[in-house]
Amino acid sequence: MDVSSTGIQEPFDLIRLSLSERVFVKLRGDREMTGILHAYDGHMNLILSDVEETIMIVSEGEQQATVNVAKRKMDMLFVRGDGVILVSPPSRT
Amino acid sequence: MDESPPPPDVQSPPPPPPSHTGSPTDFLKGVVGKKVIVRLNSGVDYRGILSCLDGYMNIALEQTEEHVEGKITNRYGDAFIRGNNVLYISAAEEL
Repeated sequence: MDVSSTGIQEPFDLIRLSLSERVFVKLRGDREMTGILHAYDGHMNLILSDVEETIMIVSEGEQQATVNVAKRKMDMLFVRGDGVILVSPPSRT
Repeated sequence: MDESPPPPDVQSPPPPPPSHTGSPTDFLKGVVGKKVIVRLNSGVDYRGILSCLDGYMNIALEQTEEHVEGKITNRYGDAFIRGNNVLYISAAEEL
């Protein structure tokens, strides 16, 4: 099998190479999280541990919108795939 | 058998589209490894080098910049974008 310089032939290879690593996940509803990736499937359902979720709460003021940030931590989490927008592995340099 | 030509009122098939444009698949094959702009349904743009993509239009990008309303809001070395969020993929350099 010919492997290019990055060793990626399909997008899921990027996820496969990130197993057991801390990944950044961008979700619908102005949510982001980082966590250790334990498992995934073709829907991009994810199992993450040691998770920190960041929720951007936008409130429309009279003059300008203000963004409040809420954070919370979870030990173990199942993320349903349809909420996933983007997954970024740790930089491999 | 009567081998006369068809009557003139029979509609001829429409002319083929201009050649050399290629199919959407040809475009996507041609754009792998090039700089692209991926716009999501939310209006967010991702600019980077297209590593690869699959039949769901899941996308792997390298050296990715996230642009919201014209401003860079994030950078990712690699990024996997779930295909259902994709509005379009635009070539950002000569093919």
